[in-house]
Amino acid sequence: MNAASAIPTVDLTRNHANESGAVRIAVKGLNFYYGSFHGLKNVDINFHDRQVTALIGPSGCGKSTLLRCFNRIYSLYPEQRAEGQILLDGQNVLDPAIDLNELRSRIGMVFQKPTPFPMSIYDNVAFGLRLYEKLPKSELDGRVEQALRKAALWDEVKDKLRQAGTGLSGGQQQRLCIARTVAQSPEVILFDEPTSALDPISTGRIEELIEQLRDEFTIVIVTHNMQQAARISQFTAFMYLGELIEFGPTNRMFMNPVEQRTQDYITGRFG
Amino acid sequence: MDASNPMTTANATPRRTGRVRSSRRVADRVLRTACLIATIVGAVVLGSILLMLIVQGVRGFTPGMFAHPTPGPGSEGGGIANAILGSLVLTGIGITIATPIGVMAGTYLAEYGRFSKIAGVIRFLNDILLSAPSILIGLFVYTLMVRPMGTYSGWAGGVALAIIAVPVIVRTTEDMMRLVPGTLREAGAALGAPPSTVIISVTWRAASAGIVTGIILALARIAGETAPLLFTALNNNSWFSPDLMGGVANLPVMIYQFALSPYPNWQSLAWAGALLITATILVLSIIARLVIKPQMSR
Repeated sequence: MNAASAIPTVDLTRNHANESGAVRIAVKGLNFYYGSFHGLKNVDINFHDRQVTALIGPSGCGKSTLLRCFNRIYSLYPEQRAEGQILLDGQNVLDPAIDLNELRSRIGMVFQKPTPFPMSIYDNVAFGLRLYEKLPKSELDGRVEQALRKAALWDEVKDKLRQAGTGLSGGQQQRLCIARTVAQSPEVILFDEPTSALDPISTGRIEELIEQLRDEFTIVIVTHNMQQAARISQFTAFMYLGELIEFGPTNRMFMNPVEQRTQDYITGRFG
Repeated sequence: MDASNPMTTANATPRRTGRVRSSRRVADRVLRTACLIATIVGAVVLGSILLMLIVQGVRGFTPGMFAHPTPGPGSEGGGIANAILGSLVLTGIGITIATPIGVMAGTYLAEYGRFSKIAGVIRFLNDILLSAPSILIGLFVYTLMVRPMGTYSGWAGGVALAIIAVPVIVRTTEDMMRLVPGTLREAGAALGAPPSTVIISVTWRAASAGIVTGIILALARIAGETAPLLFTALNNNSWFSPDLMGGVANLPVMIYQFALSPYPNWQSLAWAGALLITATILVLSIIARLVIKPQMSR
């Protein structure tokens, strides 16, 4: 009955024999509660190193909730709690003893609406770098430039680094937020519907960027857009009503889903 | 509702539709007239106060009033220089004490205490303090400072004004910080910034124009307060002395005393002082609007 267990794990490695198969994040028996509401139900899923995994499903299915567990950003809100295990390189992220700020410097996050801070473009990117390291100015300059280049924003902003980050266009702001995250050299980057507030051209640029970032980072992306999931991800997880229904290589998920509900969703029958 | 309108018009008789329409038109006209009358009444009252203030105030408004202290009973001339200076010092003390307390408390309510029950209680008490009669605050500080110290003092006046300014600043700080989108805080936290860094570098910055506006409006509020000063700073007819341990002259109390006096030169100085305070508050309000404007249009 359970789709996740119905798919033999060997399928994954066979379909993607040329991809690196190392597991970066292992989620085991994850349950999540918003007060008394049971938002995630016994989720087991693995995320692979330097691959893009897309989380898809109808609104309210728990895909953003799952994403918000990895960096424990939910803990800003006292009524939200998670139970189970999320192993990042073998270390349980949900362990209360873990240093949250250190964890969050290892797992970056990009939000649905661009969130530039009310400061200059330079200071936005340097924000995360200044938190834990006291770098000499020349090195800081270099790291900021490097991050902006990785986010494909350098050429557009190199002459106005001192101007406000909030003055950029929506797509540029989103790339600024990606640069800010990349600057910290995290291991994992979480994207929560990063293009849903952007126009098609900006969306295209962000998608290209995610493709490039895959060389260096493990990426998890929540998206409402199934074409986007198909375009940019190597693995896809379909969630429904707080449960993980099916998980597998993106090609197989879209061409040949095992579960009826997955098929119904990707063919647009609901959601 | 609009979409179903053509349907009803087609089915119902035209007369019925006409009657509904005319009754609505009458209701609209009545409400509009009532609103207009109320606006005119309000504007006329306000306008006549301002007109009177300007006409009478300008008469007493002389360069000399900035140069001379308040005159003794029966003596000619004189100014209100000591009251102006005293008011500046008292409001300065008040806002200096109130700003850190108000901003910090507002920050607590908007950030750290956001989900706690205590914050709800504090917010409620703050709202009560916000509308407390200012004479009570004057009596409170009288009991707390003037009686034990045995003298009216500038310090007591400053403290009384601070107590009035604090709830204003708390309220605006909290409101302005709550306007900062939650995703901005999440973005800060997601980079591994501790809450204090997020508040100082992100939330305060984003809300800075609003917070400054709140402080300016609090300044405008206490600049004209009379009741709390009657029991605390009282007055002083001589030039301002650096000693804040005695009574300190100030515009509101000076206006109160001079306006009730039988001497024409005192009355005219009271008018001039009133005009000066009103103009100051006007300028402060305009500055507050200019400060908040760029943020709102962003």
